[in-house]
Amino acid sequence: MQELVRIENIEKKYKNNSFYSLKGISFNIYKGEKFGIFGPNGAGKTTLISALCGTQSNYKGSILYKYAAEYITVSAMKENIGYVPQDFAFHEELSVWDNLQYYGAIYGLNRIKKQEKIHELMGMMQLEEFKNRKLLHCSGGIKRRVNLAIALLHDPKILFLDEPTVGIDIDSKMGIMQYLENLNKKGMTIVYTSHELHEGEAFCNRVILLNQGKIVLEGKLPTVLKENKVHNLEALFLKSIRNEKFV
Amino acid sequence: MKNLFNKLIASLKKEIKILIHDKVALILLFALPLFLVFVITIVQDSTFRLVNDNEIELYVLNADKGDKSQQILHLLKESGNFKVEEIHSISKEELGAKIIKDNYLIGIFIPENFSKSIEDNLEKINNEILEGFGFLEEEDKEMTEHLTSNASDQIKMYYNPIVQDNFRESIAYSISMYFQQVESNLILQQVFENMGFSGEPEKLKESLFAMESQLQQIPASNKANAQIPNSTQHNVPAWSIFAMFFMVVSLGASIVKDKNSGNFIRLKTIPGSISLTFIAKTILYIIVGLLQLSLIFLMGIFVFPQIGLPPLRLPESIFPLFIISFLSALAAISYALLIGTFSKSVEQANGFGAVSIIIFAAIGGIWVPSFVMPEFLQKIGNISPLKWCLESYYTLFLQSGSWTSLYSNIITLSLFIIGTQFASYYKLKIDHYI
Repeated sequence: MQELVRIENIEKKYKNNSFYSLKGISFNIYKGEKFGIFGPNGAGKTTLISALCGTQSNYKGSILYKYAAEYITVSAMKENIGYVPQDFAFHEELSVWDNLQYYGAIYGLNRIKKQEKIHELMGMMQLEEFKNRKLLHCSGGIKRRVNLAIALLHDPKILFLDEPTVGIDIDSKMGIMQYLENLNKKGMTIVYTSHELHEGEAFCNRVILLNQGKIVLEGKLPTVLKENKVHNLEALFLKSIRNEKFV
Repeated sequence: MKNLFNKLIASLKKEIKILIHDKVALILLFALPLFLVFVITIVQDSTFRLVNDNEIELYVLNADKGDKSQQILHLLKESGNFKVEEIHSISKEELGAKIIKDNYLIGIFIPENFSKSIEDNLEKINNEILEGFGFLEEEDKEMTEHLTSNASDQIKMYYNPIVQDNFRESIAYSISMYFQQVESNLILQQVFENMGFSGEPEKLKESLFAMESQLQQIPASNKANAQIPNSTQHNVPAWSIFAMFFMVVSLGASIVKDKNSGNFIRLKTIPGSISLTFIAKTILYIIVGLLQLSLIFLMGIFVFPQIGLPPLRLPESIFPLFIISFLSALAAISYALLIGTFSKSVEQANGFGAVSIIIFAAIGGIWVPSFVMPEFLQKIGNISPLKWCLESYYTLFLQSGSWTSLYSNIITLSLFIIGTQFASYYKLKIDHYI
């Protein structure tokens, strides 16, 4: 497997906290992976994802991306990173079309490429009938799809998803997960975090489990489940909350 | 470079669309300032007219039995400034209650011995004049020493507590003038009688009144053909600045919303995009600020004369007016950016932003002129950006000032803009937005 991200000894402590949000975090992400980051609330998942995609920069340690046979920093890699934050990251006062147009231009796409990409994404995410509707008046499912579509406008090499399906109906959820599968099949590396453990278990092929800012478990999902004698990710998760020893 | 320009245009388009869709913000930015300037100018103009042009309703409770009070009442009625209503059958103590009950502003009580007091006073003055000429008999001298009454002191003016101090003082001064006029007339009449003439000659009386000096009021100006200041020339620039700085509510809140939404988090993954958002907001709101001013000035020029208000006359030099307007708009925007970047919530930005602008306006001389404030407040007022803008506008609108008289305010405003922009940039930097 080809290495894509090398994370070494990341430490992060927020100003007013007495504890570390991340402590001694080291792992690799490989090209084409569906990589899951799981853990209880406050484990440091969002902080880690923020550091990986460059929205969090004041931490100790190093994050390097391997791009064209060279290791480059997060800042240098930004144009190839797609990020779907947990919060809706668009302008609700504007229509679906206006948001995609704006972010397409901000990502630096030329006019032709931008129109092509917007039409492609709207078609694949079934957003065409809502094209001119203000996002303020759209359902949670549509908003989640737009949130994802914006992150894909510039064809990123790696996509970070922070709770991409939270608060939406099962139909929209399945649609989004199917679309992510398709993207991965086309070669996109996906880093995913969610509270939906069944969803994560079905989607990810490799995971890390965080607790109190530390990695307590890392590996391919079937292997770690077998080694820890549990049947699913949920049981593994409960084990981490109870601070039981992992294998 | 072309790519950067396209990104800036996209950011600007997005900001314009957001503003157009926000009907409340549009009302706050355009309709309310027009309404504010319109109302304030009418109110200020009405206050001026109330004292100078209108008839003020005046209750008079006259307990005097002599003819001197009647002469004064006649003068007050003839003046055209007062609508005198004489009331009877109530006591002095009840006059105050009647004013409030009938919603009158002023009431005058003339005491019982008013005419007698005036006569005593006249005799005293008359004897002093004759003594000066050496015509006074010894027995008359002794009698004069006992005459000490002062008629004016006995007049009571009751006023409705809702009447503001400056307005009340104007009326009191105006009424006193009529009392003095009657007393002077009577003194003259008495002197002539004592000198053996029957009444004063009408010609002399007319000449004496014609001698009353009238102050010719000329506005100080840097040019010969200066504008005559009026309520419009004073109020339109002052309240336009206030309205423009009030964009802190709309722009400050928009920055906080962006910061607290996922937008800024996403934009952090796109190099340079947050800076472009700020530049786009600045460009848009400069246009908004200049549009606000243009609309208010157009209202002053074309609408005010239609409703009987003095028209706004623009300064001869339009270019300095544009530069001052541009700097004022940029100062207002820079202050709003500062409030937006330092506030953690929309409520914080709106609350602190609005209250701080009201305080800056108060100490900056927007509501009442700075020169009537206590000295320490005048000094504090020098920190108000609204004052720097106002002084620049007054230099142009009222004093026909040139570039040289604007230099100090242009420099102060520019330093304020640089300072606030730098502080906003620094805050965004330490918060890792840029």
